Amino acid sequence: MGFHIVKRDTCPLWKKACFYVAAVLAALVVGGILLFAMGVNPFAYYSRMFTMGMVGNKIAYKAFENYLKVFVPLALTSVALSLAFKMRFWNIGGEGQFILGSVAAAAVALKLGPSLPSAVTLVLMCLAAMLAAGLYGVFVAALKVRFGTNETLLTLMLNYVALYLLIFLGETKADWNFFLQEKSARPVFEDFSALASFPRIMLGKFGLNICVILTFLIGALVFVYLKYTKHGYEISVVGDSAGTAHYAGMKVNAIVLRTVFLSACLIGLAAAFKVGTAGVLSTAITEDVGWTGIIVAWLSQLNTAVIFVVSALISVLHFGSVQAASTFKQVDSSFANMLQGAILFLVLTADFFIRFRIVRNQKGGKQ
Amino acid sequence: MELNKLDVISTFIYNIILYNIPLLYGTVGEIVVEKSGSLNLGVEGIMAVGAIFGYIVGCYTNSLLVGIVTAFAMGALMGLLFAALTVSLQANQNITGLTLTTFGLGVYFFVGNAIKAVRWPVMGDYANIKNGFADLHIPFLSDIPVIGRGLFSHNILVYLGIIIAFAMWYYLNRTTPGLRLRAIGENPGSADSVGINIKRYKYLHICLGCGIMGIGGYYMGLNMSGSFNSACWINGYGWIAVALVIFANWNPAAAILGTFVFGFFNTLRVSGSSLAIAFPEVLGWLAKVPTQLYQALPFIITALVLFFSSISKRKGSGLPAALGLNYFREER
Repeated sequence: MGFHIVKRDTCPLWKKACFYVAAVLAALVVGGILLFAMGVNPFAYYSRMFTMGMVGNKIAYKAFENYLKVFVPLALTSVALSLAFKMRFWNIGGEGQFILGSVAAAAVALKLGPSLPSAVTLVLMCLAAMLAAGLYGVFVAALKVRFGTNETLLTLMLNYVALYLLIFLGETKADWNFFLQEKSARPVFEDFSALASFPRIMLGKFGLNICVILTFLIGALVFVYLKYTKHGYEISVVGDSAGTAHYAGMKVNAIVLRTVFLSACLIGLAAAFKVGTAGVLSTAITEDVGWTGIIVAWLSQLNTAVIFVVSALISVLHFGSVQAASTFKQVDSSFANMLQGAILFLVLTADFFIRFRIVRNQKGGKQ
Repeated sequence: MELNKLDVISTFIYNIILYNIPLLYGTVGEIVVEKSGSLNLGVEGIMAVGAIFGYIVGCYTNSLLVGIVTAFAMGALMGLLFAALTVSLQANQNITGLTLTTFGLGVYFFVGNAIKAVRWPVMGDYANIKNGFADLHIPFLSDIPVIGRGLFSHNILVYLGIIIAFAMWYYLNRTTPGLRLRAIGENPGSADSVGINIKRYKYLHICLGCGIMGIGGYYMGLNMSGSFNSACWINGYGWIAVALVIFANWNPAAAILGTFVFGFFNTLRVSGSSLAIAFPEVLGWLAKVPTQLYQALPFIITALVLFFSSISKRKGSGLPAALGLNYFREER
């Protein structure tokens, strides 16, 4: 008597949802047990984390503005990555593309900001960031389609090339290096928030950054692009089987190049949003969105609408744990990373039960 | 003066080995994992978890051996998690590996800060750890001028790393289980058809490889004298190890050489200025090279290796053909 696994044909949506919710809850329970073991009341901690310290806080609108600053780059990067992942192009290079995008945006702000109106500067920053990131991404895609270079490993390597370029710019005092403050003796990134900063729409005291609206708009466009356009259809066919796509007369290479370029461009745009809101570069400008975005995209099953929900939740996790760490000193904000890991592991487990079912072997060779 | 210059050279060689042996552990571990057909991008996190538990448990028990065993066991446990998700539950390897890194770094800081809040063990207080990690003096060999100190006066974990690398080379290339493992990495379907127990092989070797990475992490913690602050001990070495696997063409013995090549650049970053002072005419320019270039070089070199090996499609590439693909028996 034994067991074996077989693929499920379909799984009803409610069942899927139940599995996923159960997985997330299980991760929270595991985290709660850990908290309890440390002598922290898990309910108090979680309520602090999920409300992000906003309840009973007079400047809660400020906290929410800061939360959105975490959310926007993550959501946009995840949406961008999902485009490439849909074709099974493993763009692990989100970090590197984000970095090049932010460097390009900062360069535009510092060089052209003083002489151009702010709105024009912001548009140029976005375009420059998209171009820089897009080229960095499409370079790998070109090698992949031409020579079959392994894109997972190559994009991974290029992340670090970009990172050390950024650190080089941040730590090298020189006449040519306009990224740094001239007056400071120590190398410090120049602040350009006065030159170019994305405007906010004031709703009472709360300032809604225009990037938030743009991000949702782009999300909607990508959703339509994937679902209702010829390009979107081509992407899904290439993802299912490049051979089929080729047989159907699609130009697979062109589709891959186009889509990866678009994917990397959007990551560059996310970088421009980040830089244009922060007003200054930093060696930790990405805040790991290139990595977290991969996890978010996967957790969301590459579904654009779900990505927005999941990245909102993951942002709560990250932003909330920092807030909670100020109350619960013994719980480090790295708790969020652990929790995020645990959630993904359990969701991957749930995924297995959605894709497969376990069948008991029967005698006589029949199932 | 002459003597001083020789000193600089011997210190340079010494540092290449001392600071970069963790890369060897990480690389050899990852080679064992990848030869089974699994691409594990969690090296950084696995090393971090091995490091923090190995260091703390090793100190509390005041035993280097317990530290090594703990680091191995914790690494293997992370491997078990990876294997359970990717081998049994058919989860995507890239995603699982990347999450293992996030998760592992989370565990590293969480555990580290929790211990620090109570009492952080200082390495100097534990004689057995401190002396166990001290350089060994080998009669005659250590006394050879220049290379004696450079090559033959290291701590025991350096030699252990080299031994593991050679042992894994022998195991993979000269034994039957090694041959079977490579067969799984190349073509799991064929391996399955001749009766190799794929699941058992994958589980065992993923755990073994990850355990080796864990020891590498422990080494890094010891080499930093266990001082815990906001930067992780592993500091990107896990990613360099992933790169080094490619550079070494999936060969554990070549990984030793690769470690020294990457280590050479790594060490130039630290010792470049002292070389420039000792040899102003020949190496004076070293002082002008930005340190970030040295840090980026391993990744640039690996990117070039990836590029050229894909152009030439050369035979004898060690890249396992089924790397990164999950094996599902009923989908052949």
